[in-house]
Amino acid sequence: MASPPSGPTQEDTASSAAASESPAPGAPTIKPPPPETPTAIRRRSYIVLSFWLLVVFLGLPFWWKTTTIYRADLPLDRMLEWADGKACRPAIPIQIAVHADSLQEEEANHLVRLAQHAIDDLNDFSGHHLRLQLAARQDSPRESEHNHKSALSIHLKPGDTTTAALDPYRAALDITYPLNSVPPLHSASSMLTTYIATELRSTFAEEQSIVSYLLSASPSSPTSKPAGLSSAVVETLERRATRALRYAPTYHLTFSLFTDGPAPTTWDIDAAINEYMKPLLDVLGPIHNFTIDTQVQLYATPGVQSQTLTKDDLASFINAAEWPLSPSIGGAPTINFLTFIGNQTIGFPDSEGQTSQSWMIPQWGTVYLLSQPDTNTHVAKDALRQPMLTFGGHLLTLLGTPQSGSLPLRLSSLSRIRSADLLLRASDTLGSLARLSRSLPSIAIPRNVADGVAKSIQHLEEACASLGGSEALYHARIAEEEAERAFFEKSMVGQLYFPDEHKIAVYLPLLGPVTVPLVMGAIKEIKRLLQARKQRAQEAKEKKSQ
Amino acid sequence: MRFSSSISSLLTSSLLLSTASASSGYHEQLNLRPLPLSNLLASFNFRSNTSLADFESQNFRLFPRSLGQILQYAGTRELHLRFTLGRWDAENWGARPWDGTREGGTGVELWAWLDAETDEEADAKWLTLTNALSGLFCASLNFIDETRTIRPVVSFQAEGDHPNTTLANAKLLHGVLPHEVVCTENLTPFLKLLPCKGKAGIGSLLDGHKLFDASFQSMAIDVRPVCPPGGECLLEVEQTIDMVLDISRSKRPRDNLIPRPIQGHELVCDTSKSYHSDSVCFPVDHLQSQEWTLEQVFGKSIKGACPLTEPGVPPVCVDVPHSRSIFASEGSTEIKSQHSDSRCYKLASEGDFNLVLTQLDASSGDKELVEPEQPLLYADRSFTGYGQEHGGVQAILTNPGDEEVEFVYMESLPWFMRVYLHTLSTRISAASSIPTTSAETSAEIIKEIYYRPALDRERGTQLELLLRIPPKSTVFLTYDFEKSILRYTEYPPDANRGFDVAAAVITTLSPRKMNIRTTSLLLYLPTPDFSMPYNVIIFTSTAIALSFGGLYNILVRQIVGADEGFESPVKSKLKRVLATITRRLAG
Repeated sequence: MASPPSGPTQEDTASSAAASESPAPGAPTIKPPPPETPTAIRRRSYIVLSFWLLVVFLGLPFWWKTTTIYRADLPLDRMLEWADGKACRPAIPIQIAVHADSLQEEEANHLVRLAQHAIDDLNDFSGHHLRLQLAARQDSPRESEHNHKSALSIHLKPGDTTTAALDPYRAALDITYPLNSVPPLHSASSMLTTYIATELRSTFAEEQSIVSYLLSASPSSPTSKPAGLSSAVVETLERRATRALRYAPTYHLTFSLFTDGPAPTTWDIDAAINEYMKPLLDVLGPIHNFTIDTQVQLYATPGVQSQTLTKDDLASFINAAEWPLSPSIGGAPTINFLTFIGNQTIGFPDSEGQTSQSWMIPQWGTVYLLSQPDTNTHVAKDALRQPMLTFGGHLLTLLGTPQSGSLPLRLSSLSRIRSADLLLRASDTLGSLARLSRSLPSIAIPRNVADGVAKSIQHLEEACASLGGSEALYHARIAEEEAERAFFEKSMVGQLYFPDEHKIAVYLPLLGPVTVPLVMGAIKEIKRLLQARKQRAQEAKEKKSQ
Repeated sequence: MRFSSSISSLLTSSLLLSTASASSGYHEQLNLRPLPLSNLLASFNFRSNTSLADFESQNFRLFPRSLGQILQYAGTRELHLRFTLGRWDAENWGARPWDGTREGGTGVELWAWLDAETDEEADAKWLTLTNALSGLFCASLNFIDETRTIRPVVSFQAEGDHPNTTLANAKLLHGVLPHEVVCTENLTPFLKLLPCKGKAGIGSLLDGHKLFDASFQSMAIDVRPVCPPGGECLLEVEQTIDMVLDISRSKRPRDNLIPRPIQGHELVCDTSKSYHSDSVCFPVDHLQSQEWTLEQVFGKSIKGACPLTEPGVPPVCVDVPHSRSIFASEGSTEIKSQHSDSRCYKLASEGDFNLVLTQLDASSGDKELVEPEQPLLYADRSFTGYGQEHGGVQAILTNPGDEEVEFVYMESLPWFMRVYLHTLSTRISAASSIPTTSAETSAEIIKEIYYRPALDRERGTQLELLLRIPPKSTVFLTYDFEKSILRYTEYPPDANRGFDVAAAVITTLSPRKMNIRTTSLLLYLPTPDFSMPYNVIIFTSTAIALSFGGLYNILVRQIVGADEGFESPVKSKLKRVLATITRRLAG
């Protein structure tokens, strides 16, 4: 059966006639096939058409549906905007309440205005600005509310000379001034306002440089060079940043007593923590939570055996292979405070005669060398005083607290720095996620990633609006958490490697034999239709010419 | 009750000691016991505890911090973890150390009481616990998923002193990983948990090379609350290592581990053989009596006493008849037990400690070792049947004693082993010496059945049988199962090795409580050819393409008579070429 599928057309008959002109001798003569009925031709067209319809409208969508990966819609442009710093210009306003009960209301207002001018003149960095505000008089009921909002309060008191002192227990700056230094109502500047401005500026200088460093260090900032920071300052800031742990709402503190030999086996750690550590942790309470555990480990050989530890020895002193200092489970980062009973000393060639007892390991914790007589099997609370105080100081550094100023001031600036830091981190993570999803078109994006991104952006907006306030840290924390969760989504990370060669190997055996008849059939059918149309046109022409 | 043997009396005496001095915090003891065929059982026992108040405030001293945190985080009331390798040869070695309560089935076994209101909460905590322990002990415990977890009803009882309310709210979960190979990486974290590490005390004897070269070894960790009468409640962690060493194998020098044929003059011949002569020698399997020292057997000696131990308890004990003389290192003191064949040694705080067990003079007729105690029950389990579809399990349980034994037989079977419970049957055969009617039916042997059928890919079979075996008789317990076919991705990389089926756990209830575990089994499942998916794709594609092409062509083509239609152009061209060639040839 060698009949071609198309019906007998003129051309075909002509060629077959040409072929039958010279038949081989003895070959059976082939009759031309009977002409097909128009219904048969039409039916064939329908068959070809219906196959194609099936393939296009059922097969292709089915294939598409079963092989595509789910990609939730992400607000990519918005995410990149956040990452580029276009969505939010971080600006930290700091409210400062001025208490000047000894001055007349008008005089005080004028003083505040002048001081604000002086501050604005001094300040060259827009991300961080101080806002002076005259506090209500002490007898006014609004006083407490004001104090609550402001980051610092200035208490102006008349005195003999101009002095300034930070209150070590409250966020307050006490300034005394001689009576004659109060600016008269119409003067444009005065010694006192300039003094207040420089005093405030030096109080907030560290925070300001940290914030400006943060903004410049994050890839989202428009300027790559920190504005107005000398390279020495940048270096100290960098060191601060590498020392500090990543922000977490809860930290786990592990206090360990390690000893080389069999003694001591007990220590008064509970009492020592309660007395020397608890007050500090309570103060830190609004920013971080802490969980604590303690342990005693005997026969713990340090990684370095020498009597005097050099700088290189300090890095390898912790015997990570043998000492059970595994991080605690439960997600909170662990900070290790290690008291090692031994008579080793730390000596540097340049600091002769001077030895110290402790050193900090960035983002990890502190080691304190405590020397004790060998026979002592118990470490008393008093012996733990110095280690505990050292640990407290180092804890502040590890949390990223600024170095200067009074403790309440340092903590409030810590919370501002942390919220700016978290804001930038979250924006950065969102940007990475957006870039990842653009560069890998075959990665699946589940719905909860989109939800996390939406939530993160929402909280970012709120944090950006409330920067400098107490809400900012809360919002920035949630934004960062959500962004991280979205970025490290498990089902996204485990992207299956499915190369194109495999797809060909799977599809070709099926698609090859199926598509060839389909395509050939379609081509023949189209050819026939064109032929028929030409024929009809010719017939019409002939008719016309007749 | 039969408490004649020294091992159980020693056990009770040490238990008494421990309760008396629980407050001191740390206890360690090594029990050495020569076994027949020149084997040596070494049982290490370490116990440290902390008050519950200290535990809750996370002040860890002797109790390991890493483990303590995991227990708190997962809300664990009581924990039992076992790493076991090898088989306890009950026929030769007798009853198990610690009455079998400190060993597990081959691989890793874990059971714990978790604080949980609901089963879902218990599952979540169990997941946390297995994952955390997996990290701590470098074992694949995280593979204990719900298909390998069961909730035993009668087999396990809490060992600790729990207040009734907490136990009512606690859920018992049991998981087992028979495929896990226990090795050095599990011993290192185990030693890290000890207060004296491996640096002092009996722990300094433990060495991965010797431990995992043993014929049988088992590491156990048990955490349980203990409330001494009238005292504060404590949380106790007990770490146990039992190992059976082949003395002659262990004595091989470390730098020459390859076994080489013994020189002719060093061979020990069995002189009782009739054909024994100067030129013919039948070597004796094991030397009747060998001299050995601690250092030879363990590769090192004990490095002083651990200073944390209570001074009253001697750290090293040896169970040999008093007639055999033992030399100990200087500075140690020997305490001979009055009523049993056991003597203990107190160690000097400094300096190495070594023991020398002398060779016994064969002519003296003294006993070389304490006769092993006969176990309550012998248990063997094996597969029956053949083929890839069906199989059977037969457990042979023998009661050699004169008392009726009542026990629980527990199996935790994987889901791909589909058990037909209706085929569960027992057959009893009494030892020939006692005439028996053998009319006992299975109903009288099996008293109760706790059965939780498997669900495919969700959970395994849990089968607990309460059985009773009359004295001096053997019970054959059999059941059939069907092997299911797994999905392609469910096969492990070494699918042709087979699948491990966890050991059956036997807990005797009367005349006394003890545990026996059978060996684990290796189940062969039908394994596919793993290049199969591509073959399947290509085969089905070809079939579809063929049928589609045929169908399509029949539908689309015009069918004409054989003499009708057009000659295909290729054919006609070929014919012309053929014609020209024939003409040329003819011309």
